[in-house]
Amino acid sequence: MIHRESDVRIPTLLLLMCMLFLQFQVHAADPPPPPGMVSTVPGAELWRKVRQRDGKSTDGISQVKGVDAGILINTQGDRWARFRINKLSPYGSIALAVVFLVIVLFFVLRGKIGIDGGLSGRMVHRFSDYERIVHWTLAIVFIFLAITGLILLLGRPLLIPLLGKEAFSLLASAGKEGHNLFGPIFLISLLMMLFSFVRRNIYEKGDLTWLLKGGGFIGEGHVSGGFFNMGEKTWYWIVILIGLLISISGLVLVMPNFGQSRIIMEISHVLHVLGAVVLIAVSIGHMYLGSFGTEGTAEGMKTGYVDINWVEAHHDRWAKECHEKNLVISAEEYARILGKKAESGELLATEQEQGK
Amino acid sequence: MIKSLIDGPLWYFSLAVFCIGVLWQLARIVFTAGKTDLSVARGSAGSGAWRNIFTRFLPRKEIAPQIGIQIVAGYMFHLGLFALLFFAAPHVLFLEEHILGFGWTAMPHWAFIVASQFAFLGLIILWLRRMLNSVGRLISTLDDHIAAILTFIVMLTGCFALLKGFSELRLLHRFTVELLLIYFPFSCLMHAFTFIPSRAFTGAWFGRRGIDA
Amino acid sequence: MSERLERGLGVLRAEMDKKVMSFFSSCVRCGVCAESCLFYTETNDPRYTPIYKTEPMRKLWMNEYSFWGKLKSALGISESLTEADLADWEELVYDGCSMCGRCSMVCPLGVDISMVIFKVKHALAVAGFSPEGLVGATQRAVDIGSPMGITMTTVNAMIKHVEEDTGLKIPMDVEGAEYMALLSSNEIALYPEYLESLAKIFDHAGISWTLSSDAFEATNSGLQIGNKKIAGQLVQRVVDGAEKLKVKTVISPECGHAYTALRWEGPNFIGKAYPFRVVHILELLDELTTKGILKTTGIETDRLTFHDPCSIVRRGGIQSQPRNLLAPITENFVEMTDHGSMNWCCGGGGGVSSNERAEALKLTVFNRKKSQIEELEVDAVVTACSNCRMVMEDGLESNELDIPVLGLTEMIAEHLAPKTAG
Repeated sequence: MIHRESDVRIPTLLLLMCMLFLQFQVHAADPPPPPGMVSTVPGAELWRKVRQRDGKSTDGISQVKGVDAGILINTQGDRWARFRINKLSPYGSIALAVVFLVIVLFFVLRGKIGIDGGLSGRMVHRFSDYERIVHWTLAIVFIFLAITGLILLLGRPLLIPLLGKEAFSLLASAGKEGHNLFGPIFLISLLMMLFSFVRRNIYEKGDLTWLLKGGGFIGEGHVSGGFFNMGEKTWYWIVILIGLLISISGLVLVMPNFGQSRIIMEISHVLHVLGAVVLIAVSIGHMYLGSFGTEGTAEGMKTGYVDINWVEAHHDRWAKECHEKNLVISAEEYARILGKKAESGELLATEQEQGK
Repeated sequence: MIKSLIDGPLWYFSLAVFCIGVLWQLARIVFTAGKTDLSVARGSAGSGAWRNIFTRFLPRKEIAPQIGIQIVAGYMFHLGLFALLFFAAPHVLFLEEHILGFGWTAMPHWAFIVASQFAFLGLIILWLRRMLNSVGRLISTLDDHIAAILTFIVMLTGCFALLKGFSELRLLHRFTVELLLIYFPFSCLMHAFTFIPSRAFTGAWFGRRGIDA
Repeated sequence: MSERLERGLGVLRAEMDKKVMSFFSSCVRCGVCAESCLFYTETNDPRYTPIYKTEPMRKLWMNEYSFWGKLKSALGISESLTEADLADWEELVYDGCSMCGRCSMVCPLGVDISMVIFKVKHALAVAGFSPEGLVGATQRAVDIGSPMGITMTTVNAMIKHVEEDTGLKIPMDVEGAEYMALLSSNEIALYPEYLESLAKIFDHAGISWTLSSDAFEATNSGLQIGNKKIAGQLVQRVVDGAEKLKVKTVISPECGHAYTALRWEGPNFIGKAYPFRVVHILELLDELTTKGILKTTGIETDRLTFHDPCSIVRRGGIQSQPRNLLAPITENFVEMTDHGSMNWCCGGGGGVSSNERAEALKLTVFNRKKSQIEELEVDAVVTACSNCRMVMEDGLESNELDIPVLGLTEMIAEHLAPKTAG
């Protein structure tokens, strides 16, 4: 059986290239000979051209047809590889670690952001089944891609010293295949996210106040917000825009058979990694705020309903609308919608009243 | 050691559990007593049964708008998995070399990738719907979650092993397949077979009564 | 283990046939059935999901017929069915299910969910977990012969009225008649028009028919409560009555569950095939019209629609007949959305309408029918089931909608062509 594996082979080659260039680093660092000096080494002129030491790209002639086929040694690629190894991967990991520590620090200092008066047990419908499915599909695919992507990024500084080369090569191969396969699924779920949430995420009057007050994280009290507040909207657009950037650059990398040159692949790769690091960093914040960072938020993405007190605290403008349109349901009704029997529904309500 | 176990005894064991288990479950359905219907039939039970086996592959139009998620994700997952299972090149080769002795044309690599993406996305959505919808949460059993997650893991290890350079990854895939084979006959995964008698019984019942279903 | 639980489990075990085995083996809990169920769509309560209503049966299957259940009980850690399980399901299967069978149409795995729900109902009935209203009705059916407590005296009074109104003789206990007609309790108590119509139609067609004083009641409370034994007793009365009069055909009245009880389940309840034929009145009317024995005249100008009674259409296969009958006598006939075998139930089938406890729920789920009817802006709704008719009349009245509900047989009787001398 003959497979067409070109689409998965190139990223592997890129990886291998990085390793190769590591060995060439000594030579690459050699200073160019002073102009006018005649080299005593035979073929020096040729190699100077091949290595593009004068800064000009020289295309040779090759029987092989294809983009960049006339380049024997890709000096630009060498620079890219060094950037990846010396800058992207260590600074990327440091950035993620810092974000993580900042959030831990924030939690220690500020604690869980509660709601004045606690939860009431009376609920409002916030997200439909479809919207929640879209969210979690994107989340699952994103986390999978983040993990496999980080495996590929952090191999040299972290995983090889930790696991050894044998085990890492195994992990990297598995991770790369998984990463490439799930990439397009991410794009599809991103588009689903784009279409199902875009209408409510357009900035409107009042959002600026939220920003000026630091989203309520700085100082006391909560800040005004609609169905989505300024912070959520911004997170949404970060996801969509950086998500699209990562998806498109990822597709450029995973499908090299459309005639893109090496330089485009290199730029795509750098954008891909930078975008991913930013998105992972912000998503850590999102996960924190969505789960144990704020009281009552997670419920919205679990059952689709949120407590009216939570709405009052974070989305006062939407809360007004909920009251006007009579959308608030009782704790008993909420329990019934979840399929809890009447008795347990009463139990839930009393529990919540006691909690208050 | 582990390699020879997974490639040898465990493989034969799981295959035997699967085959005997499935046959046993089907035989139990066939040989459990059923009641003869004494009422006078209006139509043919047989044709009703056959018709129902096939018509239920399509959702009824009256309910389709309400179950859009299950329809789209359901087709994505099942068609994707079917294509992967029987038309992925490594699978065709495996079936030819180890089980059937003959093969057929496999999908091209790009189709394989697309099929698996469909299957993954479909399975994730179906499982999430189970978790997020209040009906799904209420009626789902542990078995449903195990079956979904096990299938996901089998598919995932399969995609991990795509670059055929590492025998460990292939072994991992094979090991998870063996777990699935052993679990299969005792779980809701049996629906891959029992949908036929189930639809046939109901179809026959409709057929007798002359119901247009 | 309590004795009543033991009785319930006994029924569930006896009902565990090959169908149920294949159903539970194939169900993947996809939840599609919920969307087909009136009680779920109108209340949003996931506990009304059809397959969830079969939970006692599924638990038994899991415990006693599946590998894991057997393993668990071998290890002594099985969670067996309790009396509380049965008690908890009473409300779900009696109040929250009209046995309409819509779920059985949509299950992608082909599970006949409503059939399994009936088996659960059977177990609950035998174990003594049934709503009071139904228990009382069933008791009256066994003791007096009719769930509404109607006796022959009442029937005779009605016959007298009908004879006066129509000038036609209602034949009673005529041996060797071709047809024996039955009446449902509702038709005796609320809709005497039905008997009147029968008299006119048979007179028009010149066919011999009779009522039986031993077996006039077609309503089968045994089926409604789910007790197959009692259902069998009640069917046996009809069989005895028909055999005594040596009739060729028994006519099931315009009543959905009576038709199911008599035509389809009856022989299985009593364990033997009938020596006579059973037809639904609509089947008979269609037959007679096709043969040219019955001729209609005149056309209704009102905008009309037909409500498909679940037991007659979806579970009974009589779908084209009412349309054939209505076509020549209406000029402004419109179909409801989802009409035919996927029609929405009125909400009062399966004994729900005889269960006072379920009254509020019944009215809630009627919203579906109400909006279906309102959407069509019809002048009247035609149907062919006295129970549907009663439930829809109540429902429309509670919603302050002035839309009459008509019986199809009655409409045909009103449109009979004058008899040609011959």
